[in-house]
Amino acid sequence: MLEMFEYEFMQRAFMAGILIAILASISGTFIVLKRYSMMSETLAHSALVGVAVGLAAGFNPLWMAVVVAIISAWLIEYLRTTFALYSDSILAIMLSGSLAIAVIIVSLGGAFNNSLFSYLFGSVLSVSDEDVMTIVIFGSIALALLLAFSKELYFIAYDEEVAKVSGIKVKMLNFLLVTVVAIIIALSIRVVGSLLIGALMVIPTVSALQYRVGFLQTTLISLVFAIFSVISGMTLSFYFSLPSGATIVICVLVVFILSLVVNKK
Amino acid sequence: MSLKFRVPIFDVKGLDFNVRGQNILSNVSLEIFNGEYIAIIGPNGGGKTTLIRMLLGLDKPTKGKIKLFGKKISNFKEWSKIGYVPQRASLVDANFPATVLDIVNMGRVSKRGIFSRSSKEDLNAVEDAMIKMDISDLKDKMVGTLSGGQRQRVMIARALASNPEILILDEPNTGVDMVSQQRFYALLSKLNKEENITIVFITHDIGVIADDIGRLFTINQKAIICNNPKEALSCEEMSELYGIEAHLIHNHKHEH
Repeated sequence: MLEMFEYEFMQRAFMAGILIAILASISGTFIVLKRYSMMSETLAHSALVGVAVGLAAGFNPLWMAVVVAIISAWLIEYLRTTFALYSDSILAIMLSGSLAIAVIIVSLGGAFNNSLFSYLFGSVLSVSDEDVMTIVIFGSIALALLLAFSKELYFIAYDEEVAKVSGIKVKMLNFLLVTVVAIIIALSIRVVGSLLIGALMVIPTVSALQYRVGFLQTTLISLVFAIFSVISGMTLSFYFSLPSGATIVICVLVVFILSLVVNKK
Repeated sequence: MSLKFRVPIFDVKGLDFNVRGQNILSNVSLEIFNGEYIAIIGPNGGGKTTLIRMLLGLDKPTKGKIKLFGKKISNFKEWSKIGYVPQRASLVDANFPATVLDIVNMGRVSKRGIFSRSSKEDLNAVEDAMIKMDISDLKDKMVGTLSGGQRQRVMIARALASNPEILILDEPNTGVDMVSQQRFYALLSKLNKEENITIVFITHDIGVIADDIGRLFTINQKAIICNNPKEALSCEEMSELYGIEAHLIHNHKHEH
């Protein structure tokens, strides 16, 4: 069909990108409804610490990103439930704290600034076969967990206390959700970049919400928007030599603006 | 043989609740039995919601014991026996992506296993709850587009969908107009009489107490339990606790 699929790296990038679109949009629905939008930004910065550690110590940066993002997600959830702190303050503290640690590790390491750049903004060229495998394995687990508990997570997003009174294990499921989100974000930074993944997680859902339909339809619309944005973003980035992550985000922004306009009362 | 031993649904003994040194509830003891229709009244800040939150395990008492269906609250597992409609229920976020059916389905979530689709039993329970609350024709409507009274009925349908033995409603009439309120009390009475669902509802508006209330609890740091509400409303002790003159209540009732 298209010239770009003659390149193996583009095939890999598309596969990884579509998987990430699915994961980011479905998890994003719960994140947005729980008023956790900033969580994705914070975890993306925490994942950078993992990348920095991985690059400095010679481990697979993607695996390290997953581990550090999960630890960070648990820490946020622990702080939120244990201390009298505002959720958004915790997120702001963790975000800048993570970035500071990542920058220091990077500057101590010295030589790997260029590869870090690809994690900040995403780079389709850098997606390896190993990365695709990592995304498939962890992504399937994350997706299975989300689908398994989607009705509980939806209930919790609607009203945490009523969900608790009806016998749902709210605390456990909140930890599960942030864990899954941490995994998805860490997996995404190869393609979209840690500075931009928050957009792919949040904007498709916020766009879908403009159509004012039920939960299932909202999730499906968000899924379609995310996949469309990734495909069109990657295609544009290939033909016009644009950075992939940023182009994907611009595409999803266009979808958002159109959704706002179309549904304007 | 004539005395049948009854295990109360709620058995509360010597409950104290302090927050930052301030005593919200002190030495509250009460029992709620199957089939009762109870109103909890008291001024704002008197501790009504705190009491309910402790009964539901959302807050831990500073002192005292709570048993649910004869079990210590920490060991209690059968939460679907309790339907809870919180204070802010009818003030839902207008942007939340939920149809009426989405919300009522939530009432079945804790009964379903992971991954599982709704069973026939789930579907029947949801439909039944919607019929009882007269909202079947609204099922595909977005909750955000409904009136206060309609939302209130949706929230109660959600609580009913788990086939609870007791329904607890905290200030259910917040944001609901007067006509809907009257309809609402008629519905509660019907659920109590025809379905034998125990009803406990909280209100700060003493004027709305319906005629068919079985017992009345007045909560203002302490609890006073009146087994005959009509007498209770004129009792001096009660009006003293509540802080308003008892005869006002009767006047208020006659206005409608």
